[in-house]
Amino acid sequence: MKRLLIVAATVAISATTAVAGDLAKEGEKIFMTKKLGNCLACHAVNGKSVNGPGSFGPKLQFLSSWPEQALYDKVYDPYTTNPISAMPAFGKNGLLDDNQIKAVVAFLKTIK
Amino acid sequence: MSKKLISSIALISVATFLSAGDFNAVAEKDRKALQEYMEKKFSDLKGASTFFPYSTKDELEKNFIWGIKGKDFTIGSYSFNKGGKSQYDEINEMPPYEDAIDEGKEIYEKKFANGKSFKDCYPDPAIAGDYPKFDNKSKTVITLTNSINSCLKDNGEKEWKKTKGKLAKLEAYFASTSKEKGKKVNVVIDSKEAAEAYERGKKEYYTQRGYLNLSCASCHVQGAGKRVRNEYMSPLLGQTTHFPVYRLKWEGLGTLERRLKGCEKDTGQNPHKPGTKWQNEVLYFVAYMSNGLPIDGPSVRK
Repeated sequence: MKRLLIVAATVAISATTAVAGDLAKEGEKIFMTKKLGNCLACHAVNGKSVNGPGSFGPKLQFLSSWPEQALYDKVYDPYTTNPISAMPAFGKNGLLDDNQIKAVVAFLKTIK
Repeated sequence: MSKKLISSIALISVATFLSAGDFNAVAEKDRKALQEYMEKKFSDLKGASTFFPYSTKDELEKNFIWGIKGKDFTIGSYSFNKGGKSQYDEINEMPPYEDAIDEGKEIYEKKFANGKSFKDCYPDPAIAGDYPKFDNKSKTVITLTNSINSCLKDNGEKEWKKTKGKLAKLEAYFASTSKEKGKKVNVVIDSKEAAEAYERGKKEYYTQRGYLNLSCASCHVQGAGKRVRNEYMSPLLGQTTHFPVYRLKWEGLGTLERRLKGCEKDTGQNPHKPGTKWQNEVLYFVAYMSNGLPIDGPSVRK
């Protein structure tokens, strides 16, 4: 029984990691695609070569240490934490749906 | 200073403010403040991090032309963007809009069905800098595009498309003649209603809207000199001097109205109709900001 549990736990953990990896990949695609998130229009990414990141927003770094919820909220509606932000409210304005924002957050969590 | 003196000074300043012929006082103040802001913004590398907090040091050192002033802004983002400027200079060695000027001249001289021509509406073709105008009779802003279509209509002709084609070519001829004669942008605000139209245009320019919640100013005042992807945002100062433009993206010539429509679309909005009140009042404000700058149209843009 104990052994079975360990096996089950191991499977569960690797499954989660694989799903998180896929999700981050999907998020990266949303980040880099003009008709989706188009985040690269304004942001460079630490440790990643991005084709012409814009200079409107800060270079994204250390996001791996942000809580997921904080990242989600920032993408959903940046004005709650910064009322004069020039960033669009991707969730509130319906540019990205819940699943897409979760994917973007998974990608942001990989940024050192 | 005595109390009486202070109040009389106050009275005099109120009276000055209200006196007739001062309808452009606010606009002039805005224009000077904008010029001062832009000149400060692009003055030198030393203060650059204040205005461009997210541009890399390397970019600011290598790709910026610093110390630009006044009429330097006539050429838009090429005034400060070193790489863009050299491409622009290269294209201008064989300008893609030259044929359009010649065709525009033919259009200007060609007779309408009634025997008259554009020459009758515009005896002097060097008028590109005088529009948009506020028409105190109809109490509306008239762009050069509106005016050309009125001329057609008054002569029993069909009106033209406001974004490209024949109308843009005629405007290219007007602009080129204006440039040759050294004409400057000269937008006039000479009535209370004109000042109100200016104020409405200004308000729209600074209002955030659309899915992306951007205002025109987000990109062209605060954002001027910053990049969206690889593209530098042009400053509000000098934004109208060079129209109509041959845009590489369009592979053809287009009017100021066409460009504004594209700008609205890019920022996630349902664009307003070219040549109608909303666009015209915004353009009235935008063009006023460039008052005194030389006409540089037609020109070429990416």
